[in-house]
Amino acid sequence: MHRIALSRTPIVFIGLAMLLAPCSLGAQSDGGKVFKANCSLCHSEDGSGNSPTGKALKAKDLRSQEVQKQTDAELADIIANGRGKMPSFKSKFSPDVVKSLVAYIRELPKK
Amino acid sequence: MNSKNLILVKLLLILWMGILFLPNAFAVPSYSRQTGLACGSCHYSPPELNPFGRKFKLEGYTFATKAEVKDDKKDHNASLSLLESFPLSAIFDASFTSTKSPQPTTQNGNFEFPQAASLFLAGRWGDHVGSFLQVTYDSQSDHFSWDNTDIRYANTNGHMFGKSLTYGALLNNNPTVEDLWNSTPAWGYPFVSSNVAPSPTAAAIINGSVAQDVAGFGGYTMWNDHLYLAGSLYRSEHIGGSQPNPGTGFGLNIRGVAPYWRLAWQTSSENGNLEIGTYGMHMKTSPNAITGIEDGYTDWAVDFQYDRALPQLKNDVLSFRGTYIRENSSLAASFAEGAAAVVDHHLNTIQGNVEYHFGTRLSGTAGYFNVTGTADPLLFAQTQITGSANGSPGSNGYLLNLSYWPQQNIDLAVQYTGYMKFNGGRSNYDGAGRNASANDSTYLLIRFVF
Repeated sequence: MHRIALSRTPIVFIGLAMLLAPCSLGAQSDGGKVFKANCSLCHSEDGSGNSPTGKALKAKDLRSQEVQKQTDAELADIIANGRGKMPSFKSKFSPDVVKSLVAYIRELPKK
Repeated sequence: MNSKNLILVKLLLILWMGILFLPNAFAVPSYSRQTGLACGSCHYSPPELNPFGRKFKLEGYTFATKAEVKDDKKDHNASLSLLESFPLSAIFDASFTSTKSPQPTTQNGNFEFPQAASLFLAGRWGDHVGSFLQVTYDSQSDHFSWDNTDIRYANTNGHMFGKSLTYGALLNNNPTVEDLWNSTPAWGYPFVSSNVAPSPTAAAIINGSVAQDVAGFGGYTMWNDHLYLAGSLYRSEHIGGSQPNPGTGFGLNIRGVAPYWRLAWQTSSENGNLEIGTYGMHMKTSPNAITGIEDGYTDWAVDFQYDRALPQLKNDVLSFRGTYIRENSSLAASFAEGAAAVVDHHLNTIQGNVEYHFGTRLSGTAGYFNVTGTADPLLFAQTQITGSANGSPGSNGYLLNLSYWPQQNIDLAVQYTGYMKFNGGRSNYDGAGRNASANDSTYLLIRFVF
């Protein structure tokens, strides 16, 4: 087998860079961006919780009737103070951000 | 090559091949402080990652629920996202080790207080960058040294073929340290181990032999929460060695770059998580030099991990893990220097274990390991305790571990290692009358993580 010489390194790095290149980035609302960055880890991008993490934690399907029937204030309270395995976000999110998240959760069943 | 250099080369080979059972796996409280989540949110038992822990690592250790110093990107100004709490953690280990028979001329039954102590810079550095960075004090060497390090950039906003795509860049110092599962060497079983008891000499390159002795850059991606692909390129980086690297005094000096690859597929159900994968590394190296004839190593490996939650038992988790590593090596340089009797070698390594997690309080693990390969009376020379009388690298045995966690950040572990074969033999394996079972060891550990 031939040695992989340093002179070929740029080709390999270009390959890695291609690997890292995003294929598409969708435009999102503020609530959507916050949701994607903070909530999708457990609840999945579509809110279903249908990911290995969501299944393991038995994360709620945010599109479900069980979640959607809750009032905005109840949802905001869960986001701010946490519930069960879900941590509190009150020291990270301002009330306005929580409000935008609640609005985004309301949009999830329509997506 | 004179006899002094030959002895030096052999000692170096023994040193880098004898790192099979390094205790280098930890869970880190600063992640807990950053996320507001208990250790058990990311770990079945530290350091074993559950799906949430894998996702947290995949996303660059950046998930946080706690307050940050923030400034949004505006016009030509850069943004800022800084944890208010500095992500520093520490581990303190104290241990006791006893082997079945004393190592000649030494005392048996050794307390180490501490065995090791580690400091971690582990947490979110920014919106997309985070780290697991460790320095460890080792009582035998009596100094701090750089330990496992994984600094990564992650982006979770990608899509490919309509499915989610997480991708990122990696800087690390140990092949497989970037991995998400506990079936590969850097984070594999045993998760704690003695540094007093003798351990088998032969180990594949990817099985810890270059840990913390290389610097690598790479990338990774996870598509649709199913397909994981990672790759890195490594160069030698000898901690404590002079730069530029002259090669002298080190058994492995990577020539060019050494590529590492990883491909894994995972799937999950309500109560189960399965991963199957492959990984490997190719390396050209020269012992004690940076020019001249090279040794070549190619490691191919497969692995699997299956974690099964048991709802009828309060969601206790049963884990199965295993890996097989095939190493083909062409040791032309070692042969030319008289450190190997033949050029072509192979080494087969099998490691498997099953673990029952009783909540996050108790876990019991039984593991088996088996190493076979090409006999070489020069490479695996006859030496008391660490050598082989017949030149065989073969070892096999079992590892039993019971860990009790009175709190999620305090580990009390008892471990027993038994050898059926050690460095090629069951009896008188070293030619000095020592039997494999003489190296059977009992190890007690108390670990504080804070």
